[in-house]
Amino acid sequence: MEIKLNDRMANVELVSRQGRFATLIVDGKTYTIDMVETEKGIYSLLLNGLSYNVEVVEGQEAKSFKVNTYLYSYDIQIIDAEAKYRNRNNASVFANEKNIIAPMPGKVVKILVQDGQAVEPGQTLLIISAMKMDSEYKAKTSGTVKHILVKEGDKVDSKQVLILID
Amino acid sequence: MNLKLPNVMIHKVLVANRGEIAIRVMRSCREMNIRSVAVFSEADRKSLHVRYADEAYCIGPAPSAESYLNMDKIIEVALETGVDAIHPGYGFLSENAEFARKCIEAGIIFIGPSPEAIALMGDKITARKTMIAAGVPVVPGTTNKITTEDEALKIVDEIGLPVMIKASAGGGGKGMRLVHQKEDVKSALGMARSEALSAFGDDSVYIEKYIESPHHIEFQIFGDQLGNVVHLFERECSVQRRHQKVVEETPSPNITPEIRAEMGAYAVRAAKAVGYYGAGTIEFIMDDESHYYFLEMNTRLQVEHPITERVVGIDLVKLQIKIAEGLALPFQQDGLRQFGHAIECRIYAEDPYQNFIPSPGKILHISEPLGLGIRHDGYVYSGYEIPIEYDPLISKLIVWGQSRQEAITRMRRALLAYKITGITTSIPFLKRIMESPVFIKGNYNTHFIENNLPFLLSTDSCDEICEDVAIMAAYIHYLDQLKAQSNHIANKTASSPWKDFGRIVSIKGANIY
Repeated sequence: MEIKLNDRMANVELVSRQGRFATLIVDGKTYTIDMVETEKGIYSLLLNGLSYNVEVVEGQEAKSFKVNTYLYSYDIQIIDAEAKYRNRNNASVFANEKNIIAPMPGKVVKILVQDGQAVEPGQTLLIISAMKMDSEYKAKTSGTVKHILVKEGDKVDSKQVLILID
Repeated sequence: MNLKLPNVMIHKVLVANRGEIAIRVMRSCREMNIRSVAVFSEADRKSLHVRYADEAYCIGPAPSAESYLNMDKIIEVALETGVDAIHPGYGFLSENAEFARKCIEAGIIFIGPSPEAIALMGDKITARKTMIAAGVPVVPGTTNKITTEDEALKIVDEIGLPVMIKASAGGGGKGMRLVHQKEDVKSALGMARSEALSAFGDDSVYIEKYIESPHHIEFQIFGDQLGNVVHLFERECSVQRRHQKVVEETPSPNITPEIRAEMGAYAVRAAKAVGYYGAGTIEFIMDDESHYYFLEMNTRLQVEHPITERVVGIDLVKLQIKIAEGLALPFQQDGLRQFGHAIECRIYAEDPYQNFIPSPGKILHISEPLGLGIRHDGYVYSGYEIPIEYDPLISKLIVWGQSRQEAITRMRRALLAYKITGITTSIPFLKRIMESPVFIKGNYNTHFIENNLPFLLSTDSCDEICEDVAIMAAYIHYLDQLKAQSNHIANKTASSPWKDFGRIVSIKGANIY
């Protein structure tokens, strides 16, 4: 099984599991852990006597998790066949670096371009307001506005595609 | 100036605000056996202040202008619910003289200073004039509004470059222009005036000498309606980003006891000059040679008031209410002490690693830090969706320690234990501030964040084991989820009508026959 942690792709294999004890191999290293769920989504994990508290929270997408340890937070994704398939399909829209995608929720205050318009890198395409702050979204490269998918006054979600650019 | 009779008892308070400050005010009300009334916009039905209050009323749509800034609607609710007083919190209507006046005219106590004091201090040129007359040091510059380039150049010749051109009605960095070169004076003046006009409806601007590497140090003052004024010491607020405070601490590591006493005395003098009562803050700007100047007065409770409460040991909201009732200050200056050290970190819903872009959204899970010396003033809970319409401040973490060093290590511990998932917050950035050698040393100024950005944005890498621990926990969690799902499905498919029938009988008993 492949598991993605931030930018690292790790190979994980469950060797055995008996009650609270599990043996796993992560990228060639073998670990035997004693892991119990203490509250919903919160685990106490003992590894060679070291005590870790790990919180596993469902992420935005299926099979993705936000994992908190005392010191660090990670984005983790389980990459199974289904995820691979889905990523391939999503890839087309998200992989096009030119497209404008909202990184955060907000409200469209102003759209400064029209369908078919040629844009230059750095040109402001639209303004989104959230929490009393206006953010300008700029073209990353030169291109032509293919399709504007939102209108002024619309509320947008995180990762929503706003403008398609060719 | 004061229309009220002394010693009116306040039994019920409307809090004209939202978020953490509304709850903070209601907490003190509850301890004083005062009923609290919340008002809320349509975006805030699920907000914690609505749930915490004894009563709650909707005052309009999400945009602030149609709800939290709607004076007539708020006063209407106040009259209908029969409150004795309105607490404005900070922001929104807290420094609006017209609102304070409307409250008084409606026969409701405004928990704050007189409308006259708000208006006077709200106009920066008038405030400067008043302070000069009272003998309080102000930043060298003009006392009258500047309209022509000639007037501006004359001042520049007198005080020297660089200068700041500022809007008289200003605040929050709007209508402000820094000028380094003489030839830029004209265009900067024009831009500051037009910005001031569009932001505040008033193009009055003035010129001040620009203080290089300034420290922002403010003094908490308190006055009663009998003319007594004391100060409750300072707060060091130099950790700022775009004029927005990020971390505050008290005592300031940048002033000596002598300078503290001097500045405190000036702060009291400044407040007395305008017949001030209630809670207020005198902001000073201080250069590297410890020259300090009056900058402005905030005529309200500050966001960062808890650090003062912690070291002085006084509930400032309770004191505000008692002063509003007409009572005298229950202590004198020589009865006040700073005990230990307090630090506040403001937790914002923003992404420090994406140029601090706001990050509203749904809170999936929150675990708050606990333990000795920790206070958490917040308003979000698991499952709460932070609206996009309002301020990104989600909570304030306040720690106390016997020494500054203990307070810093305690803050670091608290920030590590503070987990909010679902949205991105400034917690890791704040933790980095607590680790910064410049902050730890203490002689930082308002350029601290911009000068230390690479350090503050870097994350310390962990050894592989903690990554692997996270991976294993996530994997086993995922496997257990899968198992639970398949068990669920298996149970469903395995059911037969006879089994179901038997189950119903056993639950409901035989009387279904």
